[in-house]
Amino acid sequence: MQSFGEERGYPLFFLYKNRARVISATVGILSILGSGLFYFWYSRTSSDPTPDSIVGFAYAIVGTSLVVLASILFSLRRRARKRMIGQLHASLDWHVWMGLVGISILFMHSFGNFNPRSGTYALYAMVALVISGVIGRVLDRVLPRQIAVEASKALTMQGDDRLENISQQLQAIVVHNTQELRAFPAATPAAPFAGTPPMPTSATLGMSGGAGRAKTPQLTSSWDLAYISLEETPQEVRQGTQQYRFVPDRRSALAQPGALIPGAQEHLTEMMEVQRAMQREQVYRHIIRYWRLVHILLALLTVGLTVWHLEYALSLLIPTLLPH
Amino acid sequence: MLKPKPVLLHKTGPQVMQELQACIGCNECLLACPALAEPITIDRLNHETLSGPISTPIAQFARSCYQCGACVAPCPVGLHRDSMMMWLKMRLLRSEWEG
Repeated sequence: MQSFGEERGYPLFFLYKNRARVISATVGILSILGSGLFYFWYSRTSSDPTPDSIVGFAYAIVGTSLVVLASILFSLRRRARKRMIGQLHASLDWHVWMGLVGISILFMHSFGNFNPRSGTYALYAMVALVISGVIGRVLDRVLPRQIAVEASKALTMQGDDRLENISQQLQAIVVHNTQELRAFPAATPAAPFAGTPPMPTSATLGMSGGAGRAKTPQLTSSWDLAYISLEETPQEVRQGTQQYRFVPDRRSALAQPGALIPGAQEHLTEMMEVQRAMQREQVYRHIIRYWRLVHILLALLTVGLTVWHLEYALSLLIPTLLPH
Repeated sequence: MLKPKPVLLHKTGPQVMQELQACIGCNECLLACPALAEPITIDRLNHETLSGPISTPIAQFARSCYQCGACVAPCPVGLHRDSMMMWLKMRLLRSEWEG
């Protein structure tokens, strides 16, 4: 029955009931229980509880048929032209339950014989296949939610691209800072730093011919004219006098990265977080995609080992069936 | 099967809106979906995807979607229904965070 109320939230674990799921689960559980009960009864009462007994062969045929149906039916339904909405979902549920019931029955077919033979290898491959399927279902439940978490980090609340947003803000900061630098008044000469003498001009040199010789020129010029005056130039260091030089203080706020571009470091950090979120999203999507490939490869391996085991079993069975 | 295809990441809100407007409502994506259990109409899905309250069957479908991408190939217009479903997932997630 459809509800038109507003739904919220995205829990990690949830289970939705529908008719097909209930039917497939019921049939699957009853099949496992029924065959299990028969197995216990037969193994206690029979004198020949072996894989090559009549019951053992029956279990083998039923189990193999179920596993084959599990692998084929879903693929056929997926490729069918005519289908209704929801049929694929039901096919997937049947695929899961037929696989579980098939592997259970094949375990019963072994009657506890796990000698290193083709049948045991085929059974192990089948167990690995079922486990990969179960893990795949868990991943299909967990990873899409994690993808949504990472994708949410990469988008703003309005749904726009957050990286683009940050880039625009960074650009605005750079433009603003550039304008601030350009607005620095060019009319006033730059004040010299402490310890650096100003560049000489004709006025400071006092070049006024013979009349100027009697006066000591006001020298604040560069070192090449220092010999004219005996006064120390700022570059000369007198011994014993403490001289202060500019040494960058690592504890200073100006030494922090991004201090000279205020506001940019936070945006850069945010940008890195978004990029990391997108990388994680990509990894999760790859896991979803390639786990399916692992499941299919294990299925192919299982088919190969099962065929090998069938060939071995038929090589034992056919001579006993043929009349001499 | 073994040929690697590029993984497409999420789409932004404007991109999802563009795709929703381009949808012709042929239902091919829903027919191809193995996660959809109960029948829903494509119009209702499109309407509730972008904004507004999300009804129970749409929310259940959105949570069940496992981003397999089976809905992308059958689309005759070349839209990405999986990206639209991811948008729905994000809305459900954010509603949980806001709550």
